[in-house]
Amino acid sequence: MSIFHSMNTTASALTSQRLRMDVISSNIANVDTTRAKQVNGEWEPYRKKSVTLKEQQGQFSNFLNMAIGKTEKIGAGNGVKVSSIKEDTETPFKLVYDPSHPDANAEGYVQMSNVDVLKEMVDLISASRSYEANITAFNANKSMLTKALEIGKG
Amino acid sequence: MAINPITFMSPAQSVNEVNVQNQLTPANAQQQFADTLKEAIASVNEHQKTSDTMTQKLINGGDVDLFEVMIAAQKASVTLNTTIEVRNKAVEAYQEIMRMNV
Repeated sequence: MSIFHSMNTTASALTSQRLRMDVISSNIANVDTTRAKQVNGEWEPYRKKSVTLKEQQGQFSNFLNMAIGKTEKIGAGNGVKVSSIKEDTETPFKLVYDPSHPDANAEGYVQMSNVDVLKEMVDLISASRSYEANITAFNANKSMLTKALEIGKG
Repeated sequence: MAINPITFMSPAQSVNEVNVQNQLTPANAQQQFADTLKEAIASVNEHQKTSDTMTQKLINGGDVDLFEVMIAAQKASVTLNTTIEVRNKAVEAYQEIMRMNV
């Protein structure tokens, strides 16, 4: 475990929070998108995307050392990793009455994306707060290292 | 099935190594110290270079995140400060010896 282990852990968290932010931006940008992809020749509106995170597994050497009993079973962890980006297929599309819209059906309703802007805003705040928390952890870690360099002075 | 730990060092080997360490000549010791220092400085230089390339990449619009550049810079800064501390300690020891009355 190098002295930069926790810095690398924080970096992985920052990467995944950035990705969450990218996905949220995409969701908010596509709130009015009616033509996201074609299914059987019909345009389908944008589906809300969400990110799932998982704990990052270590390197092969970590597992080997664990198996032969050189290191303890539970280490300090290796950070976080994005496991997948999934589309929301549960929530139905919103129906908006707008007969002049090119994608309106025979009754004059348009299928809009299933993105809920309010939920996206909450996720956005959550992602940016986690980013801040990780940066605070990073700074605390750096100040610990700097303090360690002061051992024996004064 | 339990996997037995692999021990890379056999007793005979370790005894030999101890003997070698006991018979260390001053020239040898100096060489070892110089090598250790060289390695440490090379590692610090590596961090500096990484930070430099990442900054360049960011400026040129490469696929690199801003925080990655900042983290690389911080790592470089911490390693450089460590080197400076080691240097100070070595110089201090040298001066202490030079001050000795013979």
